Amino acid sequence: MIEPINFMIFSSILLLIGAYGVIRNKNSIVVLMSVEIMLTAANVNFIAFSSYYNDLTGQIVALFITTIAAAEVAIGLAILLSLFKQRDTIELDLLDRLRW
Amino acid sequence: MSEHESDSNVATFIGISLVFALALFFGTTEIYGNDFNGDGKTEMLDVAWMIPVFPIIAFVAILLFGHYDPRKGGSFALVGIGLSSVFSLAIAYDVLIADSLHGKYYEYTMTWFEGATADSYSFEFGIYVDALAALLLLVVGLVSYLVVVFSTSYMHDEGDRQVRYFAEISLFVGVMLGLVVANSFLLMFIFWELVGVCSYLLIGFWYEKPSASSAAKKAFLVTRVGDVFFLLGLVILFNTFGTLTYSELFNHPDLAIAENADAVKWASLCIFGGAVGKSAQFPLHFWLPDAMEGPTTVSALIHAATMVKAGVFLVARTYPLIVLSPDTAIYIAATGAVTAFIAASMAMVMNDIKRVLAYSTISQLGYMFLALGTGAWAAWHAADHGLEVHAQGYMAGLFHLMNHAFFKALLFLGSGAVIHAVHTQDMREMGGLRKSMPITSTAMGLGVLSIAGFPLMSGFWSKDEILESVHHNGEYEGIFGALWWLALLTAAMTAFYMTRLWMMTFSGPEERVIEKMVKSKDHAKTGNWELKTEKVKSHAHEAPFVMTIPLMILATLAVFSGLALVLGDGFGARVYYGEHHGEDGFIQWKIIDHILLSPLTHLSVMVGLTGMLFGVLFYRRGADGKAAFSTSFVTENSVTRVFHTFLSNRLYMSKFFNWFGMRTWDTFARACDWFDLNVIDGIVNGVASVSQYFSQQVRRLNSGFTGHYASLTVGGLGALVLLTRIIMPFMGWSL
Repeated sequence: MIEPINFMIFSSILLLIGAYGVIRNKNSIVVLMSVEIMLTAANVNFIAFSSYYNDLTGQIVALFITTIAAAEVAIGLAILLSLFKQRDTIELDLLDRLRW
Repeated sequence: MSEHESDSNVATFIGISLVFALALFFGTTEIYGNDFNGDGKTEMLDVAWMIPVFPIIAFVAILLFGHYDPRKGGSFALVGIGLSSVFSLAIAYDVLIADSLHGKYYEYTMTWFEGATADSYSFEFGIYVDALAALLLLVVGLVSYLVVVFSTSYMHDEGDRQVRYFAEISLFVGVMLGLVVANSFLLMFIFWELVGVCSYLLIGFWYEKPSASSAAKKAFLVTRVGDVFFLLGLVILFNTFGTLTYSELFNHPDLAIAENADAVKWASLCIFGGAVGKSAQFPLHFWLPDAMEGPTTVSALIHAATMVKAGVFLVARTYPLIVLSPDTAIYIAATGAVTAFIAASMAMVMNDIKRVLAYSTISQLGYMFLALGTGAWAAWHAADHGLEVHAQGYMAGLFHLMNHAFFKALLFLGSGAVIHAVHTQDMREMGGLRKSMPITSTAMGLGVLSIAGFPLMSGFWSKDEILESVHHNGEYEGIFGALWWLALLTAAMTAFYMTRLWMMTFSGPEERVIEKMVKSKDHAKTGNWELKTEKVKSHAHEAPFVMTIPLMILATLAVFSGLALVLGDGFGARVYYGEHHGEDGFIQWKIIDHILLSPLTHLSVMVGLTGMLFGVLFYRRGADGKAAFSTSFVTENSVTRVFHTFLSNRLYMSKFFNWFGMRTWDTFARACDWFDLNVIDGIVNGVASVSQYFSQQVRRLNSGFTGHYASLTVGGLGALVLLTRIIMPFMGWSL
């Protein structure tokens, strides 16, 4: 049996990779993908502990998260599409109108 | 709708409302004639509590529904005040003519709230009616109803603003009636302040005029100075005797003991201070002439029925305390006499018809206070020497209060009719109105004769009683001799300035010659102006009869109300303090003999007639509309000019107070202003600018780059983890 600590290290690495992707990338689509990686990190944790405690709740939650992530990506892509129509770009560095 | 049509509508309406009021009155006494005071019998006085309630209900009704009323609230005011007038007159009849109280009082109290323990103070309020209150009910009820009837026509041009006017008038009358029938000084003080508020509202009725709004503020603030003293007096009384209810206070066993003499003296002096403010006595008299900025009907109400009469009523109410303190009595008498004299002297030089009447009111109120103070001193003196207590001055002062209410209401409403007709208040621009306004001029003529003390008119009887009582006191205490001279001189001046007022307003030809500057024919070339004389005929016409009928009623009263002294049991048999002397038949020949045969009476009549003679000589307008006898020698002579200027400037009192205010309070206010601007605002602005500086720096975090926000989130999360997982366990902290 694999110790839960290993899963936690794995999911932490996934989370940090995702966070790094969100922070550093200029491309909105890649940022969205990085967000998906962070959600996956959470999913890994849920499933690992579900298996560890022999409780199915975690896996159900993981299923929900997957569904919500799909919906979120659909909405996110739709936003990016209309953004591109209006502003001709989805480069995040160029989208800095909402500020002081 | 023509004016006459609308007048007859008003008259019909007034008639219907009176019938309604009478019907409701008899209905109420039948239905609600409960025995409120629990003395086992149902009597007229049991409905006394309703008197102040009707106008106050009318006030609320006018505020809510006044705009739907075709008379703009006038209907409600007529019905409400009409009802309380009918009730008041019924009670006045019951007490003053049918003598249902036999010199006692009627009281009905309810507990408002009480303390937890049996001996703690419980606040009671209720109704207290005695002869004094009944007299005031008669005066206030009658005069205020006539004034409201007059107002329905006088205020007709005001349109929708009449709603406000009638609402305020109703409240004014209601709280004044409440003041009269209140059963304790505390309840009276509440109504007293409400009277002040209403006078403020009504004097400032045309609040868009700066002079009116400043006059309203002046009236409110100056009377407030007196009110502070009044409250102080009540505090002293409550601390000493533990009660403010009349029946408990005046029958208090400790009232007359020597230990309390100082407390009684200071309390009565302070309460008199309240009366000085409200009744416009020297040195707080200067608000009343300015109060002429309100509508004339309001002036009539303030001068004849409400407001200023409250001060006289207060002193009469406090009599059981004042008679224990000769100092207070002398102070009241002296204030009254000095005020009467000063105000009369100023009335002689005023040119504004309403200001003359205002100073006349102040002067006549001075007479009343002189009489009340004199009576109190006489009562003290008699008690001190173990004699029968008989305060003639008390009766004389209140008798004058009643007579003055009638003739002063008459004069004010008459001057209102004149102002309504000629659209000016300056008597120099009037003249010759006698023919065009026959009813008004006759009625006002009767009022003038009455106030001037013409024999057998009402003012004659009461003024004579006052002078006699002062002269009688002069035999025991020298100062009253001096006050008597002042009062006698005032009587002459009163006759003079009232005659002057009538002559300047009504005498002379209808057509008058006026001089005015006009552009000369070659004005375009030379720019010259020339003096041109021109004949103008005044367009004045008699007031509508809704306005003249109250005048006629008041004129009748002004002529005959003095006979109350000698008809029936006589005025003094009902309204008295101490002992009163017996009745002998329907006409009191004893009093008539006493008055008509006394050399004092002859002297005061002579003095009054002399004053009137000079008034006629100086101010009767001749055929050219000018005074027959030029008064310019007064202003040309250097000695008399000083006096004239001094009096015209109203003794420089207002100027002095303005100067004094500038020197003291204004300096203080400027210092406060500086402190506020620099210190207080400095602190506030300093705090604000520091936080503004920091927020200017912090706002730069909001850069608009998604990456920055994300890294702040992640960094924040990292910092949180660092704090809770590493630093806190390491330092041994826990949440």
